[in-house]
Amino acid sequence: MQVRERFAIGTPKLGQASHDLLAGVDAAEAVVISTCNRTEFYLAAEDADAALDRLGSRLAAQVPENADLPSHFYHLQKGEAARHLCRVVSGLDSMVLGETEIFGQVKQAYQAALGAGATSGVLNRLFQRAFGVGKKVRTETAIQEGSTSIGNVAVDLAEKIFGHLKDSEVMVLGAGEMSRLTAQALVSRGARSIFVANRSYDRAVELATEMNGKAVKFDEWQSVLEKVDVVISSTGAPHAIIHRADVEKARRARKFRPLFFIDIAVPRDIEPTVGEIEEVYLYDIDTLEQLAEEARVRRQKQIEECERIIDAELKKLSLPGT
Amino acid sequence: MDRWFLIAATLLAAVGGALGMLSVHHGSRSKWTVLWMAGAFLCQLGFLVLRGEARGACPLRDLGEILTYLAWSLTLFYLLVGPPYRISLLGVFTAPLIVVFQACALIPGILTAHPTRVLVSNAWGETHSATSVLAYGALALAAVAGVMFLVLDKQLKAHHLKSGLFRNLPPVHELRISLQRLLWLGGALLSVGIVAGFLMPHKQGTEGHFIAAVSVWLGYALLIGIMQVRGMTGRRLSLSAVGLFIGSLVVFAFV
Repeated sequence: MQVRERFAIGTPKLGQASHDLLAGVDAAEAVVISTCNRTEFYLAAEDADAALDRLGSRLAAQVPENADLPSHFYHLQKGEAARHLCRVVSGLDSMVLGETEIFGQVKQAYQAALGAGATSGVLNRLFQRAFGVGKKVRTETAIQEGSTSIGNVAVDLAEKIFGHLKDSEVMVLGAGEMSRLTAQALVSRGARSIFVANRSYDRAVELATEMNGKAVKFDEWQSVLEKVDVVISSTGAPHAIIHRADVEKARRARKFRPLFFIDIAVPRDIEPTVGEIEEVYLYDIDTLEQLAEEARVRRQKQIEECERIIDAELKKLSLPGT
Repeated sequence: MDRWFLIAATLLAAVGGALGMLSVHHGSRSKWTVLWMAGAFLCQLGFLVLRGEARGACPLRDLGEILTYLAWSLTLFYLLVGPPYRISLLGVFTAPLIVVFQACALIPGILTAHPTRVLVSNAWGETHSATSVLAYGALALAAVAGVMFLVLDKQLKAHHLKSGLFRNLPPVHELRISLQRLLWLGGALLSVGIVAGFLMPHKQGTEGHFIAAVSVWLGYALLIGIMQVRGMTGRRLSLSAVGLFIGSLVVFAFV
């Protein structure tokens, strides 16, 4: 992490960094990609080995002398570099396999370099083709299907129940880290409002403020149940705090609208019999984790197919330098 | 010629439904279903135009024509509701019902081979038949949406979320909204049909049809009333929509 931090380049500076590299390493073209998990330099030069040496020296100057450089850096050339770029944009080289964000990040980095005049024939062709391959991989395989984190699984389920979340209201019971992350995931996908109830009211206010929501006294959560669509519970109580009778009481006032309970507490906060109520969908942490794990396994199984597509496409495209 | 239009419509719906089911089974969207169904709709229209010209009136004179008109209105509402609300899967669920209705119409003896010209027709009578069968189309589609809801609800409750069908089904909320709107639309059209039925001249021996029609209307009015005033769980609403539609087909026994 410390090494990655040293080389991280903010998005607004990517274009300039690519441009600076041209003169710095005597390359004809350059693109710099910097994300939380990588900093990569793509170069096209008349004398590739010399450019690579100059880049190595530049980078080495930025790390302490006692740092174990070779373990942090690697370099690829020609076909291998093209293949690597295709793997990166396809999400095969990401921490979360198949994640979609990397595609946009690489595109942004390339656009910045293009805008700064740091690219020309070779890298333009390479990147444009790599984006095409990335799209093909994502369309023709299930590499980005399913959610691989508990928060995202919960959000996907909420969308399967309520469609767009812009009309959905969420109640968070217990202001712990897990419930905060799950609630944040719901808010990021458009959930309309958040109510936070916690035994410590101050902590509820803190989390509510952070999420632009409203704090509720812990003993008043039952009255809020009448209006919300999603309940995230993670209180750390040693016994169930939401009982079937509590939900039964609110049904009439809710006009029997669907209600989604996400129980991420251990021991569970919600009595399992709550899930027997017709309009209630109850998911506990084990089920959510199992769904996330299944998605991860499904994605792993897709790697071979993705690699096959990349190899076939690279052969077909006869990219420069390959 | 009219019969060929009906056969073509049945085949198009069958192929569209089968291909849709196949793509859903493989986990992808059934994006071509709407085109197959549009083709089926045009063939149904061709059949109804030819029969209408032969009759010189609304082609609702025998059970075969009624079943085809019902299939046509079901297809019409699917085309109106499915694509705009991105419920492409609705077509996959609707196609089998259309095939069943039209296959029944094609059974020898159900469709009059040589339709006779209607000499005396009554505007209220025509309105009654046309709007009632149109209402059945909307209510049939409500039942289809109900079946889709029940499938999705069962999968969500049992945490069975891996199937291609689950991935392609629209959200619970959207199915519920579509179901409610179709019930309102069907109920409104049925009300027009019932009023027109009261105003049309009555023949002897139509008491059974009258009682069945009023019972169906009361059933739907009660369902819509409870849904609107008290509220209902999606599962009960869906079961009621499916049950009422199946029960309401009794009306055709008295045609």
